[in-house]
Amino acid sequence: MSQKHEVWGWMLAVDFFFAGMGGGMLVILGILDLFVGEGRISLLAPFMAAVFIGIGSSLLILELGRPFQALRVFVNPKAILTFGAWCMSFALTFALVYLSFGFDMFFWSSWIVARKIVAILCFVFGLIVATYPGILLGRHKGRPFWHGPGIMILFLLSSLVTGVAAHVLCGLIVKPATITDVLGTFPAWTAGLLAFQLLLWFGYMWVKKSGGTTAEAVATERWLSGDLSSSFKVGFIGLGTIVPLILSLSSSPAAQAVGAVLVLLGGALMRMLVVRGGEDRTWFPGEQKYRSRLPKGNEAFLKAWNK
Amino acid sequence: MARYAMVMDTRRCVGCHSCTVACRVHNDLPLEMIYNPVVTVGPTGVFPNVKMAHLPLICMHCGNSPCVDACPTGASQQRPDGIVFVEEKKCISCKACVMACPYGARVCNHEKGTVQKCNFCMDRVDEGKLPHCVKTCHQKARIFGDLEDETSEVYKLVHTKHPVRLLGELNTEPYVFYIVDSEVKL
Repeated sequence: MSQKHEVWGWMLAVDFFFAGMGGGMLVILGILDLFVGEGRISLLAPFMAAVFIGIGSSLLILELGRPFQALRVFVNPKAILTFGAWCMSFALTFALVYLSFGFDMFFWSSWIVARKIVAILCFVFGLIVATYPGILLGRHKGRPFWHGPGIMILFLLSSLVTGVAAHVLCGLIVKPATITDVLGTFPAWTAGLLAFQLLLWFGYMWVKKSGGTTAEAVATERWLSGDLSSSFKVGFIGLGTIVPLILSLSSSPAAQAVGAVLVLLGGALMRMLVVRGGEDRTWFPGEQKYRSRLPKGNEAFLKAWNK
Repeated sequence: MARYAMVMDTRRCVGCHSCTVACRVHNDLPLEMIYNPVVTVGPTGVFPNVKMAHLPLICMHCGNSPCVDACPTGASQQRPDGIVFVEEKKCISCKACVMACPYGARVCNHEKGTVQKCNFCMDRVDEGKLPHCVKTCHQKARIFGDLEDETSEVYKLVHTKHPVRLLGELNTEPYVFYIVDSEVKL
């Protein structure tokens, strides 16, 4: 009964979070391998990227009304959900292939050109997985808070910042094979991306509130002074962005680790809020009042009827 | 080729909800599912100049239907005559179409694990009959027909009464048209 909702629920939001974080990790992994060199990131990172994308895919399946027929989602190439499902599958596969280059037991582990090619594929599909939820949401013409290209940038940025934070945590658990100062620069990257994220959210809210349609302004009001406002302001902006930004600038590894965890929690919260913010359609006059009066199917008088 | 459309004459609609009931009964819908709600706009204005209108909502069978584009399984389809329908055996209830539809015309059937919607009673239309909601409307507020047929009432109304399309600015090309009293703002 708890899943009985008419719009996308929390599982899709968590799917966006995990898949986006995994995609962001692959983007960073690909860039580092191509332009800095091998072994600069933890061996745990490609594994966790694959695990995160796998968790995201699993939650996407659980969100379906018929989860055992989930393979049908790969059928229509014109649908962006199909495109996303294929890209997530490829990203997961390439993450695991890239991981295999870190183990000497595989005969191909010394094939540098092959590893570089896989790194390029990780970068490309990671970038798509990190971006596509934003494109998916931004194309919804009837959802005023989502509609437009801005949400795509916010999702891509959040995927990258959570990806960097996840790399920081992976590096703390399993050290990279080649110890360089690359990993040491990650907290600074996190701080920079968080500052950019803060700026973009401020601009996004401002544009939606004042520069868009009336429906967009009404939808934004939920975030600024409505039921989502405390979670947005305190949870996402405060604890999920500003606090980790400060902690990331600290030289203490413990503070940086706490900051990275807060970044992940903030990223998950942001997606929850965005998905909830999309519950609002462009309503017709009188429609909300009408729908608020409809039975949900679990009213006491209905249960009495079935006894 | 026919292009089916519906005209809602809101000046004639009295908000009796007969269409809603007829649809639910004939389509055997669960209690929480409604294909064609009738919402009330207003009353607005100051006595004695008060206005109220009833707005029957339904799937718009859009020419540029975002729900069909969004469906990853191909369950949401559009016939050449414009009718948008769901092939239930292909639907996995991913709700991509529910979220994509700007008109709220799609509803989840949680028992079946599918999404359902109005299909203009296409089985009846194929037999030359009218959809249940149209047949039951005693005020003749719903007019259904072929927009390509110049002799049809739908064609004449669309081309003479200048009806409006809901959310026309979204470029979904809805094929349900509304004749609205000029003093009522939608």
